[in-house]
Amino acid sequence: MSSSFLRNVIGEYMTELGQKSDKVVLVNADLAGTCRNRGFAEAFPNRSFNVGIAEQNMVSFAAGLACEGFIPYVFSMAPFLSMRACEQVRTDVAYGNRNVRMIGVYAGVSGGISGATHWSIEDCGIITSIPGILVLEVSDAWQAKKILNMTLDYEGPVYIRVSVEPVKDIYCEDVKVVSGGSITLKEGNDGAILCSGVTVQYALEAAEKISAESGKNIRVIDMYSLKPVDHKAVIEAAQTGRVVVAQDHNVIGGLGSIVGTILAEEGLSVRFKILGIPDRFVAMAHAPYLYKKFHLDTDGIKSEIDNLF
Amino acid sequence: MKTIRELELAAMNIRIQLLTLCNKEVIHIGGDLSVTDVMTVLWQYQMKYDPQNITDESRDRFILSKGHASAVTSFNQASVGCFSAQDVIDEYAKDQGRFSMHSCNLVNPYVEVSTGSLGHGMPVACGVAAGLRLKGNYTSRVYTVMGDGEQSEGSIWEAAANAVRYRLGNLIAIVDNNGLEADGRIDEVTGLGNIADKYRAFGWNTVEIDGNNVTEIVRAFDELPSADSYLPTCIVAHTIKGKGVSFMEDQIRWHAGKISDEQLVACIADLRANYESKWSI
Repeated sequence: MSSSFLRNVIGEYMTELGQKSDKVVLVNADLAGTCRNRGFAEAFPNRSFNVGIAEQNMVSFAAGLACEGFIPYVFSMAPFLSMRACEQVRTDVAYGNRNVRMIGVYAGVSGGISGATHWSIEDCGIITSIPGILVLEVSDAWQAKKILNMTLDYEGPVYIRVSVEPVKDIYCEDVKVVSGGSITLKEGNDGAILCSGVTVQYALEAAEKISAESGKNIRVIDMYSLKPVDHKAVIEAAQTGRVVVAQDHNVIGGLGSIVGTILAEEGLSVRFKILGIPDRFVAMAHAPYLYKKFHLDTDGIKSEIDNLF
Repeated sequence: MKTIRELELAAMNIRIQLLTLCNKEVIHIGGDLSVTDVMTVLWQYQMKYDPQNITDESRDRFILSKGHASAVTSFNQASVGCFSAQDVIDEYAKDQGRFSMHSCNLVNPYVEVSTGSLGHGMPVACGVAAGLRLKGNYTSRVYTVMGDGEQSEGSIWEAAANAVRYRLGNLIAIVDNNGLEADGRIDEVTGLGNIADKYRAFGWNTVEIDGNNVTEIVRAFDELPSADSYLPTCIVAHTIKGKGVSFMEDQIRWHAGKISDEQLVACIADLRANYESKWSI
């Protein structure tokens, strides 16, 4: 199984997207290299804007371009996009319902040794609480391309969180994505792992290990659409009796909170565990070390499932 | 095309409408009155805008960066036929109304961009100006009206640098330099210093005018570089907060407020007397 770096995939695919529609423009804030935007900038110099280290202006500027009918793709590190430019995302993009696509790389703690300033364990909570934004998280290269294609026609603002950790290739070209969708990667009725982004690969491996060891079948669902979320998938997962949510995000405000709210509203009684980054600042370290420490890696997720039996 | 005298009459009428509304509801009367002359000349003389065709590509775009000057904007939009001044008075701050403390395009389609929080309109206007150029529209301009207190927002200066970088000569930023912000005199609260010098230092074509003098405002607009030029223009309009109402002029407490029936009658009489004496009617 080969693997991919999603920011490379997305950054490079932007050139193809630019060929598909001349309404596609790109705005970044001095992170063209980091976000792999240079190919687009070379192919379409007039449609590429680099506003310098000014994330607030980056988002407002993109909103202005969207006012004139363009589809701006804004690239930055997720913490700067969701926090430094938070009010611009909310007021200039979401309030105005502008067709701005915001791509936040360095999702979760994937920024690793850059440390907490460059991590984004809050963005899902922040952005999903802003009305009207489609919030997505990508887990694989083909899925990322399909999501970018979807954003060409989608009406309204979109936020996409992207890990910079390598991810194993999970899907093939026929993968389908839709607002409010999810993808069941492995069937099973003994429990379910709901996950998104970098954790999807680990959840799959954990479920396979459990099958091999004990014969228990654990369902694995890629909840790539964080808002709107696939309610039906959550309700059906609860019917297995055991739900583990795994996301590289603060345990508060992420996919776990989204799923937990549905379980509570539906009155579903289920063994339930949220895996994520604990609600405190931790010192910089490589992402795999942190995933292991916080039980987001294959063995961690497996042990947390085992605990529910 | 309105004459100077007609524009001064129009500005007086806008002030009367503002005060009539201010007798019913709390509005940001101080900053509405300071920028009334600029807004009147902008909407009733300068801008290309057809309320019958609000998505016309050739229109000029207007973005109110000092979003709290919504009432003076709405009355000027009424004056060009977007709706009636009575609509504004009747619906202002009413549930399900189209007009309120800040402009909102969810209910008022003549508002290009909803604003209210400061430091947003100008950066969005830069994006709009860049978008026009990218589409090959070199005839429309983008006008944005900011407050002077608003210049404390860092996002303004992020945009100020970019407007020059992206050669946005179609962008006209106007600063309503009335010297006061909500908590006091700007020089005492934030110490902004000379705003015009700052725009000059950022490389803007910068013009300073008496922003309560219709003749100077008209001249500044007449002398704007063409819309296809490459230097953004900043018009620093030196104004008086509360202009036209003697007890409100340069008074911090009239940032926002409401007036009594007696005050309304006296204010309108004053405004009419001033206009009539100037034009020897």
